[in-house]
Amino acid sequence: MAKIYQKPTNLKDYSKKSLLDFYQTMVKIRRFDEDLIRLIQDGKVSGFYHSGIGSEGLSAGSIIHNLRDDDYIFYNHRGCNQKIAKGVPLSKLYGDFMGTIEGTTRGLGAGIVHSADPSRGVLGQAGTIGSQLGICVGSAFSSKFRGTDQVTVVYFGDGAASREPLHGSLNWAGLYKLPIVYICENNEYAISCHVSETHSVKEHIADWAEGYGIPNYVVDGNDVVLMHEATKEAVERARRGEGPTFIEAQTFRHRGHFEGDPYDYVNPEVLKDWKENRDPIKNYKARLLEEGICTENELATLNEQVDVEIAAAIKKAEDAPLPGPERIYEGLFA
Amino acid sequence: MSTISKGEVKVKTITMRDAILEALTEEMERDPSTVLFGEDVGKFGGINGATKGLYEKFGKRVFDTPITESTIVAAALGMAITGGLRPIPELQFGDFVGVAFDEVFHKLGKWRYMHGGQMEIPVTLRLPIGIAGGSGPEHSQSPQAIFMHAPGVQIAVPSTPYDAKGMLKTAIRDNNAVLFFEHKVLYDLKGEVPEGEYLIPLGKADVKREGNDVTIIATALQVHTALDAAKTLAKQGVEAEVIDPRTLAPLDMDTILNSVRKTGRVLIVHEEQKTGGCGAEIAARISEHALFDLQAPIKRIGAPDVPIAQSLYLEQFYRPSEKQIVDTVKELMEY
Repeated sequence: MAKIYQKPTNLKDYSKKSLLDFYQTMVKIRRFDEDLIRLIQDGKVSGFYHSGIGSEGLSAGSIIHNLRDDDYIFYNHRGCNQKIAKGVPLSKLYGDFMGTIEGTTRGLGAGIVHSADPSRGVLGQAGTIGSQLGICVGSAFSSKFRGTDQVTVVYFGDGAASREPLHGSLNWAGLYKLPIVYICENNEYAISCHVSETHSVKEHIADWAEGYGIPNYVVDGNDVVLMHEATKEAVERARRGEGPTFIEAQTFRHRGHFEGDPYDYVNPEVLKDWKENRDPIKNYKARLLEEGICTENELATLNEQVDVEIAAAIKKAEDAPLPGPERIYEGLFA
Repeated sequence: MSTISKGEVKVKTITMRDAILEALTEEMERDPSTVLFGEDVGKFGGINGATKGLYEKFGKRVFDTPITESTIVAAALGMAITGGLRPIPELQFGDFVGVAFDEVFHKLGKWRYMHGGQMEIPVTLRLPIGIAGGSGPEHSQSPQAIFMHAPGVQIAVPSTPYDAKGMLKTAIRDNNAVLFFEHKVLYDLKGEVPEGEYLIPLGKADVKREGNDVTIIATALQVHTALDAAKTLAKQGVEAEVIDPRTLAPLDMDTILNSVRKTGRVLIVHEEQKTGGCGAEIAARISEHALFDLQAPIKRIGAPDVPIAQSLYLEQFYRPSEKQIVDTVKELMEY
């Protein structure tokens, strides 16, 4: 059975900069998301969006100060969280949502899926949920074959984990000792179905990895520091050529699967508990202050920086033109 | 046989299997970023023997995979988009493309486009096809036409050792995905192949026989049935022009239309089922561009629209025959 990843984390082991980077990345992800929802409400962006609010900790913790630009990621269906943590410029993400030529797709448009930034190792994402599990095998194989120490981190939800490609992926990764870190963002619901209704597991999804001989852990995905530690060990193992790791990061989404989802299939008490007591940003902020890492004012300054960055990004994305209709005929072939 | 532009060229007679093996060997020697993988393609040399000796020659660049068609194609895509490798995966039977449909239909041709043209997809996926030896309904099909509906993938369907070698080399060097369909009966077909390097562009049809009376457009094994039929027809005073499109995407309509405008009569022959086979698209395009050059309705011969029986005896009745072609051409000549 999967081990519960638990260890005392000491903020004094980290530089202040690292700790504030975790904080600011989480805030950036959340503000990006909140402003995107506002743009949806203003009719500027389609509602076909899967909000990542409530799960910022696992993306910021796994990526910041663990991954390099040349490490590959395949993001999940709440993947703006990971794209932002990997450093994709916000104006480019907003541009994809608005369909302007500022977007990474130069105007074709992208929702959560299909924005890409190969210069930062963001190699795109499949619209058929979970298909990234097969593709990540190839990017990891490529690094291993070329003898680099690049790592591939593949993100997928509990819903995607139930798809067939997971078996092929884990089998190849275990067999060829591929440098892959699997991060299953378990927010308990695949749209309306609870994981207990759709997954046959001993106890955890991560238990599945055990059968492939792949080290596996269950981590509190809303504890950004713990998530950082767990991923760090997995990334280091992959860089050393010791193969894949499977991390199940537990979290919960604050909003429905898509904007407009009534989200009435969750117990309101459970949702309230996650929002009030297990919010990754709120809890981390309290810890930073309690342990005297920084002051309330310093955090406020970081928030303001994010607000300025987001306002500029939205403006840049919005000011860019829509492409002409000829755009649809460009770029099919290299 | 197409002529070769170089002056004096030595030719040899080899099977299409050996032509494919030569193409793979030469391209893997030429480009160290090529990797070849699939089920039993390594030490075993491939279920059709088309990769024999490559493992011994190229070591870890040739490897056996688990039986995981969707992961084989997905992995090829993942390797390609890192910009570091040029994968040449094989599916043991072209029919198994159904197992990897998401990866082939949604990903190979679309990944580059839908991510804004930022990545290249130098993947050549080899797919053995066709009715051969009583293999049954899921090991005998010719699914290539389905992918004419998948933008971004190129579709190669060679009919001779010469074409197979030249097109496969081009496909491997191409920075876009190519589905390379090899008819299993043709693996043992012998033909002339020049010594030394040559390439055949994708998107260039080949006139396999010239004639003024009727245009027969045929693919894969049916090119040979059509050529046999053309000989029989010639004895009866009908000169058929036989065109092999060689690639269904891109489709060389110029060569087809030039011939149609000359003959005014068209028969399209393929081993795919008639409904939705490549003949449907070719016929539609001919009628769009050359309807008033026609003197007779466009005719198509394909396999019947039923699954292929396992029986070695019955399977022959799925494959278009020389007699069907001769009879249909005679019908066309009556207009």
